[in-house]
Amino acid sequence: MKKLLALVLAGVMAFSMVACGGTETEGGDTDATGSVYYLNFKPEQDQQWQDLAAKYTEETGVPVTVVTAASGEYETTLMSEMGKESAPTLFQVNGPVGLANWKDYCYDLTGTDVYGQLLGDDFALVEDGKVYGLAYVIETYGIIANKTLLEKAGHTVEEITSFETLKAVVEDIQARKDELGFAAFSSAGMDGSSDWRFKTHLANLPLTFEYETEGITPGTVKGTYLDNYRNIWDLYINNATCDPAELSAKTGNDAVTEMVEGKAVFYQNGTWAAGDLAAIIDDLTMIPLYIGVGDEANQGLCTGSENYWCVNSQASQTDIDATLAFLNWCVTSETGVNGMCKEMGFVIPFAKALPADNKFVQEADAMIAAGKKSVGWNFPTMPSEEWKNGVGQALTAYAADQTDANWDAVVAAFVDGWATEYALANPA
Amino acid sequence: MEKALKKYSPVFVLPTLLAFTIGFIIPFIEGLYLSFCQFTTVKNAKFVGLANYKYIITDELFLNSFKFTVSFAVVSIVLINVIALGLALLLTRNLKGTNIFRTVFFMPNLIGGIVLGYIWQILINCILSIVGQPLLALNTQAGYWGLIILTAWQQIGYMMIIYIAGLQNVPDDLIEAAAIDGATAWQTFWKVKLPMIMSSITVCVFLTLTNSFKLFDQNLALTAGDPGHLTEMLALNIYQTFYARAGMQWKGYGQAKAVLFCILVVVISFAQLRATRSKEVQA
Amino acid sequence: MKKQKSAVDTVWSFVLAVASVLYMYPIVMILFNSFKQERAISTGTAFQLPTAETFAGIEHYINAVNSKGFLQSLGYSFLITITSVGAILLFCSMCSWYITRVKGFVSNGLYMLFAFSMVVPFQMVMFTLSQTADQLKLNKPWNIWIIYLGFGAGLATFMFAGFMKSIPLEVEEASMIDGCSPLQTYFMIVMPMLKPTMVSVGILEAMWVWNDYLLPTLVLDIKKYKTIPMLIQYFRGSYGRVEMGPMMACIMLTIIPIVIIYLLGQKHIIKGVAAGAVKG
Repeated sequence: MKKLLALVLAGVMAFSMVACGGTETEGGDTDATGSVYYLNFKPEQDQQWQDLAAKYTEETGVPVTVVTAASGEYETTLMSEMGKESAPTLFQVNGPVGLANWKDYCYDLTGTDVYGQLLGDDFALVEDGKVYGLAYVIETYGIIANKTLLEKAGHTVEEITSFETLKAVVEDIQARKDELGFAAFSSAGMDGSSDWRFKTHLANLPLTFEYETEGITPGTVKGTYLDNYRNIWDLYINNATCDPAELSAKTGNDAVTEMVEGKAVFYQNGTWAAGDLAAIIDDLTMIPLYIGVGDEANQGLCTGSENYWCVNSQASQTDIDATLAFLNWCVTSETGVNGMCKEMGFVIPFAKALPADNKFVQEADAMIAAGKKSVGWNFPTMPSEEWKNGVGQALTAYAADQTDANWDAVVAAFVDGWATEYALANPA
Repeated sequence: MEKALKKYSPVFVLPTLLAFTIGFIIPFIEGLYLSFCQFTTVKNAKFVGLANYKYIITDELFLNSFKFTVSFAVVSIVLINVIALGLALLLTRNLKGTNIFRTVFFMPNLIGGIVLGYIWQILINCILSIVGQPLLALNTQAGYWGLIILTAWQQIGYMMIIYIAGLQNVPDDLIEAAAIDGATAWQTFWKVKLPMIMSSITVCVFLTLTNSFKLFDQNLALTAGDPGHLTEMLALNIYQTFYARAGMQWKGYGQAKAVLFCILVVVISFAQLRATRSKEVQA
Repeated sequence: MKKQKSAVDTVWSFVLAVASVLYMYPIVMILFNSFKQERAISTGTAFQLPTAETFAGIEHYINAVNSKGFLQSLGYSFLITITSVGAILLFCSMCSWYITRVKGFVSNGLYMLFAFSMVVPFQMVMFTLSQTADQLKLNKPWNIWIIYLGFGAGLATFMFAGFMKSIPLEVEEASMIDGCSPLQTYFMIVMPMLKPTMVSVGILEAMWVWNDYLLPTLVLDIKKYKTIPMLIQYFRGSYGRVEMGPMMACIMLTIIPIVIIYLLGQKHIIKGVAAGAVKG
C-alpha cells in the first residue's frame, strides 16, 4: 500500500515536471499558420515595429513578435536567442562581415516575393548565386547643423564647404561660447549608446577614402587618412559643450538634449535621428562630413545600409513561409509601406516605396540631384565588433589625454587591430 | 526506520534529483564534452580535441583576466574579513546603537549586483570627475578599486553577522578567566577569541573567496571590462567569449575557458577549506 | 576603569555612527538624483541636491512605472522568487532528510555531488543549461523554478543535511513505531524542527533568486518576460538611449520593497544568516 502511494506520488511529481515542459508548446509556435519572431536591430524604431506587427496580426491572425535588442547588444542577444528552439525567424546582419558569421542560418531568398520587390541586387547580399540578405532601409548621415544658431553667431551653412571652412566656423563659435550661450559641437559621448557615431560612422570616412585611393586588400588597412581622422576628432572634442575628459560617460541622450535645448550647433548623426530632434527640426539641416580629403567641393552625405534582413533557415518551413509573407506584406501592402516609410521614416529600396517625409532624407536626395557624390558605407567591412570597441576605447582615451602617444594607440587599434581581428574572424 | 524510508525514496529524493539532473548534472557533463568541440548549439557540436584549450592558453585577455581576478580576490578577501571582524568586535561590546549599526551595515547585501554596480558607477564617476581624473571607462585603477570597494560594501555586513554569531558563542567564563590571569584586551583577542571563532573564519573566507572568483553582475554593471578588457574578471571574460563574439570557434573557446575556471575555483575552495579547517579547535 | 571604558565606547559609537551615514550615502544619492531632471544628472553633478530649477518631482517614477513593463517585471520577479524558494525548501529538505537517515552508497554519492555543485561557477553550465532549459521549455516565469531548484539544490541540501545530522533520531523513530508513515513523520515531526534552518535557507535562496541576472537573462523567454534586474540592465541602452532618471527611479522602486521586508523581518534574517553559516 505504502509502496503504491509512493509510486503514485512520485509519478505525479515526475509528470508535473515533464508536463510543465510538454504542455507549453500550444502557444503560437506550432500553429499551422506559423509565426514570426523578429529580432530588431534599430532601437529608435522599436515602437513602430511593435505597432506594425500588431496590425499584421490583426489583419492575418499570424502572431508576430518583435524584440529589440538593447543598443550595442544585438550580437549578444542574437547569439543567445539563436541557440534556442524558438529562435528568431527574422534577424539582421550588417553586411558581408556579419553574413560570414551567420551564413549557416540564412535562408536563400532567391525567387521569393519580397526579393522580387527589391530594386536591384545592389541592395542584396548575394554570394555564390544565393541571396542571403535584403537591405530594407537606406540611410544617410553627416553633420546635423542648427541654422538658426549659426545665424545668431553670424555664420551661414553655405560658408561650410570643406574641412577648413568647417573648422573656422567651429572655432569661431567656440571662442565666443560664453557670449553666445552655446557651444559648437554637442558632446561626442563615448558611452555605448553613442560611441558608434565615432568608432563606426566617423571611422567610415578615412576607411572609404583609403579604399578609393589605395584599393581594397582583404585583411589589411594602411591608415592613410588617419591624420584627417585625428583632425576632425580634435575638432569635435575640443569645441564641445563639455570637457573632453567627461566624454567617456556621456550618452546619446546627452547630445540630443543639448541640441534640443539649443546648447550646441553641430551634431554628427543620421536620418534616423529626425524623430529625436522633432522639436527643432525646422532649424536643422545636414551637411557633409568633411575631413579634408578628396574632392570636397563635390562631396555629398554618407549614404548606404548596414541593415539586411535575413530569414532563419533553421526555422520550420511554416515559420519561414510566415516570415516571408510578413516581409512581403511590409513592403507591398498599404499599411506595411506606410508603416515603414511614414511611421518609421525609412527610405526603403523596394518597388512600392513612398517618398519620405524625413527632412534629412529630402535634403540628401536634393544633394544627389545637385550632382554631389555620396560617400559609401564601408563600415560593414570592419572585421568585428571587437575591432570597433578597440578603436572606440582608444579614441576615448585620447580624448581624455590628447598626446601623440595616445593617438598612436588609436592608429594601432585601427591598423594592427584590423589585421588581428581579421585573422581571428577568418581562421585559415 | 531506514527500511520504511527507503520505500519512499521516490517521494523524498526524486523531485530534487530530477531537477538537479536537469539543472546541473546534464549541463555539467555536456559542458565538459563541449569544451572539446566546435559548436554553436548543443546539437551541431563537432569534436576538435584539444584545439580549444590550445587556443585559450595563448589568449592574452584570458590570462590578463586571470591575473586581475586573483589580485582582486586577494585584496578583497583580506579587506572584507578584517573590517567585518573589526565591526563584529565593536558590535559585541554593547555599544549604544548596536542594533541600528548592524541593520545599516547589513543592508547593502540585500541589493542585487547589477543595481549595486550602477549605483557605484554613478558615485565613482562623480568623484573622479570632481578630482579631475579619467572616468571609470578609461581608468583601470579606479575600476579595480571601485570593484573592491563595491564588493566590500556589499559583503562586509554579511560576514560581520557571521563573526558576531561566532563571537557570541565564545564562552564568557573563558574571557573572564583570561581577565583574571591579567590578559590585555589585545591578548584576549589573539589568544582566546580568535582560536574560538576559527570556524567562522573558515566560513567567511570560503564565502568571500568563492564570491570573489565568481563575481559577475557587479563587474558587468560597474566597468563592463573597460577600458579595453583590462578590468574584466574571469566570469565576464567567459561570458563575453560566448556571447559577444560572432563566429563558429568562440563558443568552444568559451566552454574550454569555463572548464578551466571551474577546476580553478573547485581546487582553490577545497584547498582553502582543508587549510583553515585544520586550524579549528572544537569548543 | 569603568569610566574609561564608557568614554572609549562613546568614541566608538560616534565613529560607527559616521560610518553608518557614509554607508547609506550611495543609496541616498540615488534617491535624490531620482528627483532631478534628466539634464541635471551628469557625472559632475551627482552629488548636488536637486534645486528648485532641476527638481523633477516624481516624474521619473511615473515614467518608470508606466513604461517598459515595470509592474509586470516586478510580478515576474515575485513569482519566480516565491515558487523557486518554496520548491527549494520543500524538496531539498525532504531530500536531505533521506540522505542523512538512509546510509549507503547512493546517499553518500549524492551528498558529495551536492557539495561539489555548490562550488561550481555558473559559467561552467551557462550555455548548456540555457539550452537544456530551452529544449524542456522551462523558460517561463512559472516553471523556471525547476531550474533554480536544480542549480540551487546543492547549497540547500548541504545546509539542511548539516542541521539534520545534529537532531536526535529517537523522536522520529518513536513516531514511526507509532504507525506514522515516513511522509507523516516528515511533515509532523521533522519539518517543525527544521524551521530555523528553513528560514536561513529561505533567505539565502530568496536573495540569490531575486537578484539573479544572468540565469534568467539566458533562460527566460525574453520575447515575453523580464525580471527586475534584467529590466534595470535594459534601461541602459535600450531604445538607443540611456535614461538615467527612470533608471534611478526604477532602482529605488526595487530597493524599497527589499528594505521594508528587511526591516520587518530583520531579526529572522540576521539570525538566519548567522545560523546558516555556522551550520554550513
